[in-house]
Amino acid sequence: MTAWIEASGFSIWMRESPSFLAFPLMLSLHAIGMGLAAGINGALALRLLGVAPDVPVSEMKRFFPAMWAGVWVNGLSGVALLIAYPTKALTNPVFYGKLALVALALAISRSTGRRVFGQSAAWDAERTRTARRLAVASLAVWISAITAGRLLAYTYTHILAAR
Amino acid sequence: MKSVHGIQTWLVWTLASVTPVGSFMRTHWGWPAAESVHFVGLSLLVGTIVVWDLRLLGVGRRIPIAALRALVRWTLVGYAITFVSGLMFLMTEPTEYIYNPAFHYKVLFMALAGLNALAFYLTVSRRTLALGAGQEAPLPARIIAAASLFLWMAVIVSGRLLTFYRPGWCGAEPPGFLADCVPLLQRW
Repeated sequence: MTAWIEASGFSIWMRESPSFLAFPLMLSLHAIGMGLAAGINGALALRLLGVAPDVPVSEMKRFFPAMWAGVWVNGLSGVALLIAYPTKALTNPVFYGKLALVALALAISRSTGRRVFGQSAAWDAERTRTARRLAVASLAVWISAITAGRLLAYTYTHILAAR
Repeated sequence: MKSVHGIQTWLVWTLASVTPVGSFMRTHWGWPAAESVHFVGLSLLVGTIVVWDLRLLGVGRRIPIAALRALVRWTLVGYAITFVSGLMFLMTEPTEYIYNPAFHYKVLFMALAGLNALAFYLTVSRRTLALGAGQEAPLPARIIAAASLFLWMAVIVSGRLLTFYRPGWCGAEPPGFLADCVPLLQRW
C-alpha cells in the first residue's frame, strides 16, 4: 500500500522535485498553519486564564475562523507530506500519537467554542471553571502535539517501503 | 566586503565557544528537545501577534485595542523562548547558519519585523491605543499590521528552508558580500 503511494507521480514529485513548490512549500505551510492553529488557541487560552481581562471573551470567537484556517492548511499540507513519505510516517508509532493529540486538541477547541463562546448560558462561576479547565487542557495538548510532530524527524525506522 | 567576512568568522568562533550548550545539544535528545521548545515558542509568538494584527485589520472590532496590551508580555515570552532555543542551534552548528542564505533572509525578515513594530510605536500607537471598542484602526496602523503578518510568515518560511540551503565548502570562487559557503579556514 505505502509502496504504491510512493510510486505515484505526486509522491515522487514531492520527494524529488527541486522546486520550492514541492516539499519546501508544504513544510513551510505546515509551520505557518501550526502558528495559526496552536498560536491562536494559545492566545484564546491565555485570555480564558485571566490574561488581558479587558478583552471581552465573547469577542475572542472572532479569531476562530483564522484558527480553523490554520487547521485546514495543516490538514492539506500534512496530507501532501504524508504522500511524500507514507512508510516513514505510518511505521512510526509517534505519528499516530501526534494525530491523536491533534484530534484531541481540535475536540477541545470545538468544545470551547460551544461551551464558552456559545450564547446560551449566563457567564457564571461554573462557566468560568469550565473555561479555565478547557484552556489548561488546550495548552497542554497543543504543546504535546507540537513536540510529537518535531520528534517524527528523530523516531522513524524506515524512510521508504522496501522494494 | 572583507569586514563582513570577518564578522561572519568572528560570529562562528564566538558562538562555538559556548561549549556547554554544544555538549548538551549533542546528547541524544538535546537537539530534538530544543526544536520542540523552538516550535512551541514560535506558536506563542506568532499566535499573539496574529491576534493583534487581525484586530488592527478589523477582526474582533469590539475589543478595545488597549486591552490587547496585556498580550504583549506573552509575545515577548514567546520571543524569548524562540530566541534562546534558536541561539542554542547556532552555538552547536554555527557554520550551518552563519553561511546559510536562508538564515540571512530569516535575520533580515526578523529585523524588518522589529522595525515594523518600532514604526508602530513611534507613529500611530498612541492614536490607535486610544480607540475604544468598535472603532477602526487608522490606515497606517492597518498597513503596519498587514506588513507584520507578511514578515512573520516570511520568518517562518525562511526558517523552514534552512535545511534546503545548507552551505557547502567554498571552492576557488571568492564568496560574495555575505559568504554563503564555509571558507576553508573555518575547518577545525
